[in-house]
Amino acid sequence: MSEPTTLLALFEDIDPAAEAIEKLRELGLPDDQMNVISGVPIPTRVLGRPRVKTNVPRIAMSGAILGILVGVFLIYGIPYLYPLHVGGQPLFPIPPGLIVTFEMTMLGLMGFSFIGMFLDSRFPSYEPMDYVPEISDGKIAVFFKCPSERQAEFEKAMKEMGAESVEPKEAQEL
Amino acid sequence: MAVTANAVSRPYQEEEQEDPREHLMFDPKPRGEMNGMVMESMHTTNWKFWVVTILLTVVVVTCLFGAWGYMIAKGLGVAGVNRPAYWGIFLTNVVFWIGISHAGTFISALLRVMKVEIRRPFTRAAELMTTFGLVQAGLSVFMHLGRVWRSYWLFPYPNQRTIWPDFHSPLMWDFMAINTYLLASTMYLFLPLLPDLAMARDRSTGWRKNVYRILSLGFRGTEGEWKNLHSAMNIFAFAIIPVMFSVHTIVAWDFAMATRPGWASSVFGPYFVIGALHSGIGAVLLVLFVIRSTMKHMKYFLRPEHFDFLGKLSLIISFTWAYFFFNDYLVPWYGGDKWEKLLLDFHEHGPLAWVWMTMLICNIVIPWAILWNKKWRRKPWLMGIIGFVINIGMWIERYVIIPISLTITRMPFTWRIYKPGIEIPLTIGTFALFMLLYMLASRLIPLIPVWEVQEGQEAHTLRKVGKATIPAVSEID
Repeated sequence: MSEPTTLLALFEDIDPAAEAIEKLRELGLPDDQMNVISGVPIPTRVLGRPRVKTNVPRIAMSGAILGILVGVFLIYGIPYLYPLHVGGQPLFPIPPGLIVTFEMTMLGLMGFSFIGMFLDSRFPSYEPMDYVPEISDGKIAVFFKCPSERQAEFEKAMKEMGAESVEPKEAQEL
Repeated sequence: MAVTANAVSRPYQEEEQEDPREHLMFDPKPRGEMNGMVMESMHTTNWKFWVVTILLTVVVVTCLFGAWGYMIAKGLGVAGVNRPAYWGIFLTNVVFWIGISHAGTFISALLRVMKVEIRRPFTRAAELMTTFGLVQAGLSVFMHLGRVWRSYWLFPYPNQRTIWPDFHSPLMWDFMAINTYLLASTMYLFLPLLPDLAMARDRSTGWRKNVYRILSLGFRGTEGEWKNLHSAMNIFAFAIIPVMFSVHTIVAWDFAMATRPGWASSVFGPYFVIGALHSGIGAVLLVLFVIRSTMKHMKYFLRPEHFDFLGKLSLIISFTWAYFFFNDYLVPWYGGDKWEKLLLDFHEHGPLAWVWMTMLICNIVIPWAILWNKKWRRKPWLMGIIGFVINIGMWIERYVIIPISLTITRMPFTWRIYKPGIEIPLTIGTFALFMLLYMLASRLIPLIPVWEVQEGQEAHTLRKVGKATIPAVSEID
């Protein structure tokens, strides 16, 4: 079997893009062989695409747990290592502990959300990629991989669905 | 026979039909054109911009770094802090700048969580204020430290001095809260900036393209990238709100935990938070007015409706601030503690009573007199002035709470009115640095989150109900 070709179909609007995705499915293309790139977020259900999974909340949660542990260490571990009696307070008081632990937990949660966003999106990435600058100006790009021998059939189908252009695309520097 | 009929309703007048295109969300332009407008606003500079930039740079170099260097060389004696007011303008500035920083989070995060659509064009301008405001707050803390080169003593690490930071102290909580807030708000500024940086990358050439290429991290706008971005932004929007409240509450505890007259107050936490929002929203009004007046195409994005909305918000916050102020005034007045009474009397009738009065005029009288009127709220220049006045009032409020209140202690032989020294040029320097950073950022960062505006316009439609055409918003996400 020949190498698949990557085609880029560029649409002006959401509706024809959604129809085109449906058409690609009818032509036998599975969802994991296509991707939609847009300058503004378009919910997957609007395009009739399967829900995209994200690991960001899970990574964020692990950051929050790490933050709790750091907070507990700061407020209880440090007085244990170096006892400092201040203002008649117990060495291991709960109210200040809550404050320090809260700050560290939130820092962990947000820091790891940020890192999680990078990890899950594989940022930073400066490799050549499938992209055309028209996307940031409002065009919706449907990228898909089709068998080379059926390229003409797919191109025709996309044109019929209202694509402004359908071209084979090589990865390029952004 | 003539038929006479009594009117069954009151006399009516023609209702003025509002043009929906007055609202940004109902006045869309092609996306390419809007992107072009935002890019042009960043690239268009005239000689006035550079004159102001050079002037601000000179002020920063002399008033901030020059004066700070002089203070480091000569010692804290060149500042006005002395018994009994050991905390002076440096800490007034810390509280003021942290307050300014609250607007970014409040506007961006809280309004995002509540899905308040009008927020869309001005969230970034507010977020940028948060980050640069916190930079000034951090600098002011270091000024206050005096021996700034020993600031690393604040960090907990094993050392031969066997000195450890005390995590039971409000000052240490403050250090942690401000750092958490600075880091979180910087990340929160960067996340929604990514798609706009990618847009700027696609529309730039030369060195700018390289800068945007690096900063946009390879963002293209795939389904996965948008999903991850939304997920992270949602977590941030919810998590940063309690952090915002905690930061200024902890700043308030720096004062309230001390059993000093005028400070030991259980309402100081929320009172400080509301004060922060008051000055923060005022600063947003001022900044938006400046952006709108000086940058190209900004009149399209920042419209009277936005000033109207922020004006209403400012009025509500002014009411709330007045409520907390009165609460903080009434309880000690009623309690009758000798030192508290002396302090209140000093505020109202002492040699600095005019400062106290100015605070009330700027924070209550002027905002209430102007902001109730819709027509006035829709005048950007007037709202810019109101924002400026509120910020004068809120800076004075912190000045009243810190050095003026410190004048009255339980040891009358120590009473002395604080007179600032080198703090004055240093304060001017921090304000100049804030403006300089903002001006430089306005040439590199799209101040309008253009993808968010476009997303909003996509969701807004006009619906015919009976004879009227009314705006409708679809919840696409």
